[in-house]
Amino acid sequence: MAGTFITLQGRSRGYRNALIVLGALALTGLICFIISYVAGHQTFGSSNTVPWGMPIVLAIYLIGLSAGSLILSSLTYVFGREEYRPIARMAVFLAIVLIFGAMISILIDLGRPEKFWRLFMFFYMNNMTSMFAINGILYGGYFVISLVYLGIIFAGKAGAAKITGIVAAGWAVLVHMGTGAIFGFIAAREAWFSALRPLEFLAAALTSGVALLIVAVVATFTLSKREVKGEMIASLGRLLTMFIFILLVLVIFDKLTHLYAPGRDAALYMLTGPGAWVFWVFQIGLGVVVPLVILLHPGLRKTVRGIVAAAASVVVGVFFERYYLVITGAAYPQAYAPGKIEGVWGAAGSFALTPVELILSIGILALLGLIYLLGLKYLQLAPAQESGNTETKP
Amino acid sequence: MARWGMVIDLDKCTGCQSCSVACKAENNVPSGSPEEHVRRLTPFWQKVIAVSSGEYPSVSIDLIPMPCMHCDDAPCVTVCPAQATYKREDGIVIQNFRRCIGCKYCIVACPYGARSFNYKEPEDEPYNRPDLPPERADRGVWPFPHRVHGVVEKCTFCFHRIDAAIEEGKVVGEEVLPACAEACPARAIAFGDLGDPASHVSQLLASRQATRLREEMGTSPKVYYLLK
Repeated sequence: MAGTFITLQGRSRGYRNALIVLGALALTGLICFIISYVAGHQTFGSSNTVPWGMPIVLAIYLIGLSAGSLILSSLTYVFGREEYRPIARMAVFLAIVLIFGAMISILIDLGRPEKFWRLFMFFYMNNMTSMFAINGILYGGYFVISLVYLGIIFAGKAGAAKITGIVAAGWAVLVHMGTGAIFGFIAAREAWFSALRPLEFLAAALTSGVALLIVAVVATFTLSKREVKGEMIASLGRLLTMFIFILLVLVIFDKLTHLYAPGRDAALYMLTGPGAWVFWVFQIGLGVVVPLVILLHPGLRKTVRGIVAAAASVVVGVFFERYYLVITGAAYPQAYAPGKIEGVWGAAGSFALTPVELILSIGILALLGLIYLLGLKYLQLAPAQESGNTETKP
Repeated sequence: MARWGMVIDLDKCTGCQSCSVACKAENNVPSGSPEEHVRRLTPFWQKVIAVSSGEYPSVSIDLIPMPCMHCDDAPCVTVCPAQATYKREDGIVIQNFRRCIGCKYCIVACPYGARSFNYKEPEDEPYNRPDLPPERADRGVWPFPHRVHGVVEKCTFCFHRIDAAIEEGKVVGEEVLPACAEACPARAIAFGDLGDPASHVSQLLASRQATRLREEMGTSPKVYYLLK
């Protein structure tokens, strides 16, 4: 089976139903986007204190998943780790789908989405000191490089795949560190301002990327009645454990640095303020404690079920890590003047998730699921089955 | 080239909000309901914050009018990806609504909360009054004929008044002032050329101890406050 890939037939009832449900959700999302475009961003929960809402949370989350997924594929095509070959094509395809979703999310967050092309007028109409403009180069280039990379893999050119793999993985590292820099370089927001932010984003990208890949691979293989290789999943689980530890160390050092200095109000707000439960319950609980307990448990760490549960927990945990950074981090009030600023101008920002924003976010995820399922049907992504049983039921 | 700046005397300010109202009237800044204001959805080019320090009964309150600080090293100019925000030669930081894509990065980056996003379609659409020049060819089309939602806006130091005054040969800072300075009943807001040592603002700055907000940010604001 090594090295042969086939398309899924996609004739089963479950596959068709999944397409219909995802398509309907994506369509509802589109309707909500039109509502938000016509009525303005008052339909979102964001405000002048918390300017970025769910679309940006989703965007940086999807970029992270994408970058992590792409870096993993390089294990096979660059470092020649044969045990990951069955899932390498899926990893690259997933990376392309996810970066596409991230770009759509950013587009939706723009107040004037019809002017998005201004982000891509590099050096001509762009201000190249802006991290957004630099990231425009990074994201756009990443999308193109990933497409080329997938094309070369499909063409079966091992040497070229290795070179593009190196370029693509390096570019993916840049993409995510650039995304971290959007937040880390902003001195005005104390909760964001940190030199560690790009590295933290990279670690989070790898963590969530591996986790999503585990979930996606096991789901695809199980639903298409393929044999899930426990050994491969267990080795991905070990990789996941390592990334969780790296992420945890970076988070701890970031928090400690800001707690140690006397100007620790912002750090205290982030750890004990009204939005801190997101950090403790989701980022630490679901993102670190639950998966680590499962992955270090002598029995559970060897079962596919346990590893998938840990991975799913990480996927959710890292999503809320993004939410915590973008929304709770921005809500910390700015000290315009020394003293206590009274009234509205000194109050911490509030964020109420609106239905439009929620349906829009679900719509984006549904669209990505839809593209992924269609990709499985029309591209040779999934590894061929030894038994020849290619009847699918995803 | 002049270097326009503002000097606000905190000893004279009574917190009457005349400056905020005058700014809204002059620049047609959209208004909003109280609920929208609490949610911070309403655009404000000029706001007055009340800062208290100490515990009751020994409390002191500072009333601080906050227009855009027109920083020499403005973070919003650095982060704007579309060149929608830029600094003019006379130091005024300008927002071009035609270029703005509405990414809100400048709102995030501004240490003074001086920028507002248009969260809904404004009722008062024209940016300017009909008695003012409708177009300026050297800086592109300005004022923007109609407001739209989805772009960021901010204080301009009433640059249309300054430019018109210079054309007419009037003295900016004495005969012509930005709307907030003109409306201030206590004459707490002075406006003029910071680069000219003979100007009223320079003399005010030399006369009293002055400070700027959040100087530790290194943005070099051009709005000075004379301390109480």
